[in-house]
Amino acid sequence: MIKTWLKGTSLLYKKEIKDSFLSPFVYILSGLFIALGGWVFFSLLVSAKNATEATLTASVLIPSFSLYRFILMIICPLLTMRLLSEEKKNHTIELLYLSDLNNSQIIFSKFLSSLTIVVFMLGLTTLFPAILGFSGYSDWGVVLSGYGGLVLLCMAYISIGLFASSLSSNYVICLVLAIFMMLGLWFLVLSAGNTDNYLVGLILRYFSETYHFESFARGTVRSFNFVYFFSFVTFFMFLTGKSLNSRRW
Amino acid sequence: MDGGHALDKAIELINVSKLYPGVSALTDVTFSVKKGSVHGFLGPNGAGKSTTMNIITGLIPPTGGTVKVFGEDVQANPESARRKIGFLPEHAPLYENMKVSEYLKFVQSINSLRSTVNSDDYLETLELCGLTEVSHRLIKNLSKGFRQRVAIAQALIGRPEIVILDEPTVGLDPKAIVEIRELIYSLREKHTILLSTHILHEVNLICDHITIINKGIITSTGPIHEIQGGEEGTQIILAEVLNWKDELRPVLFRDLPLEDLLVEKSGSDTRLTFKLKGKDDYRGWISDILVKNQCSLLQLSKQTVDVENLFKSATAEKPTKGRVQ
Ligand SMILES: Nc1ncnc2c1ncn2[C@@H]1O[C@H](COP(=O)(O)OP(=O)(O)OP(=O)(O)O)[C@@H](O)[C@H]1O
Ligand SMILES: [Mg+2]
Repeated sequence: MIKTWLKGTSLLYKKEIKDSFLSPFVYILSGLFIALGGWVFFSLLVSAKNATEATLTASVLIPSFSLYRFILMIICPLLTMRLLSEEKKNHTIELLYLSDLNNSQIIFSKFLSSLTIVVFMLGLTTLFPAILGFSGYSDWGVVLSGYGGLVLLCMAYISIGLFASSLSSNYVICLVLAIFMMLGLWFLVLSAGNTDNYLVGLILRYFSETYHFESFARGTVRSFNFVYFFSFVTFFMFLTGKSLNSRRW
Repeated sequence: MDGGHALDKAIELINVSKLYPGVSALTDVTFSVKKGSVHGFLGPNGAGKSTTMNIITGLIPPTGGTVKVFGEDVQANPESARRKIGFLPEHAPLYENMKVSEYLKFVQSINSLRSTVNSDDYLETLELCGLTEVSHRLIKNLSKGFRQRVAIAQALIGRPEIVILDEPTVGLDPKAIVEIRELIYSLREKHTILLSTHILHEVNLICDHITIINKGIITSTGPIHEIQGGEEGTQIILAEVLNWKDELRPVLFRDLPLEDLLVEKSGSDTRLTFKLKGKDDYRGWISDILVKNQCSLLQLSKQTVDVENLFKSATAEKPTKGRVQ
């Protein structure tokens, strides 16, 4: 049972990965990401006054993770916008519907393929902390938690993007939808700061991914941060499944 | 209904209807496809051919009614129906970035997840569809004719008992059309085939059964020879008169097994189209009635009902403007 599920998922996953890495799109995005990321990292480094371990963590690493996050907010929907919309546009989704694959396999394989690409891109940026490491920096706990947080954040963004991609056969619309959904979440944390009601503020903050990501970036992770991200991803995958079902015309 | 009879039907639709928001795409569609037949599904644009086929394959659910594939309800058991059907949808579901052989292999593997045997079925299919020479080319670089072959090949992967093709020859050049037709014709020995088309001539060439649909309603269905004026066939008689009197209409309907009478005024003449049920020759009767009523009969002829006429009469807008008041 699980074996056939994995077999189908990996078949589709391989196809997606092959498609992605054969097109220049992924390389262009990776290039832009590492260029921007590098620029951010080194300008923070230059502006850091005295390079002690504590100041490096506080004024270089933590801010650079926060800035990566904004770049990923654009990159993730760019990666996911075509995933389902193109299958719809080309009618190949019908091929998948009529095969042995079910919705969960379609959704997971697409999710994983995007995650693979994002992890590949993030992997490129580990070069920067590694350079710090050569010059004696050793607070790896923060680095690890920061990257862990970014990966979880990307999982959330990819699940939003995948859901958006299931809503239309036009990928520009999917892109715009995904970006608006992410902005909506981000505004939650802003309005949480504006409300006078402590409880409402707390709830709004809990629902915003920014709040949870910041725990990772600072290296103060709690288990509910994980719970948040996993329920987030599950919820959007569930919605994607619903959307695929209803779109069987 | 006895069991043997039921198994004779590869596909059976009973009162299938489909409502889209604001549009009724299918209304009480009932017909069956005999096992081993090549069944043509005819209808003008927007008649509901693709909708019907999508419902048979389980791609979309019907609003009401039952679809059975080899006696099994598709709604209740979509899995088993799917295994028995190979489907070419209206829009060929091709992955442009794949090579032909890679694509067919992919289709084969996503359709045989549960089987443990490692078959090289796709290689046979490549050959069967005449794709060997292009097997290493990217699908996006193929000509339309070859693309269509790949799309048909995709439907044949896994050797399904039933093959459903939605307008397999649409948009191809005459040479490619002939080739695709030959391919379909060669499949008839091993598969039951249901194909939709609006090329009437095609039906005469390769089909042995037909179903005609117009605006979501089945207008006739059965073996082609029966429909072309056999026992229960309809016949059409054309008459031209100088003085048509509308009072004659009820008289004609009373005296003849008339199904429909079309009255068109053309210049000073009036053209009458009699659609009659039965196999007797009614020309004598008609001429008697018309002559007796001083209509000045100019011409009278019997038309053999071929698919084309049947199609025309089935799909004609009921002309209110042409009718003499
Ligand atoms: N998804 C949909 N939503 C609303 N209406 C639809 C939808 N799909 C089809 N229809 C309508 O249903 C009717 C039947 O369409 P269908 O595509 O089945 O016709 P068809 O016989 O295949 O036509 P064609 O020869 O053009 O392919 C049409 O009036 C069409 O506009
Ligand atoms: Mg159609």
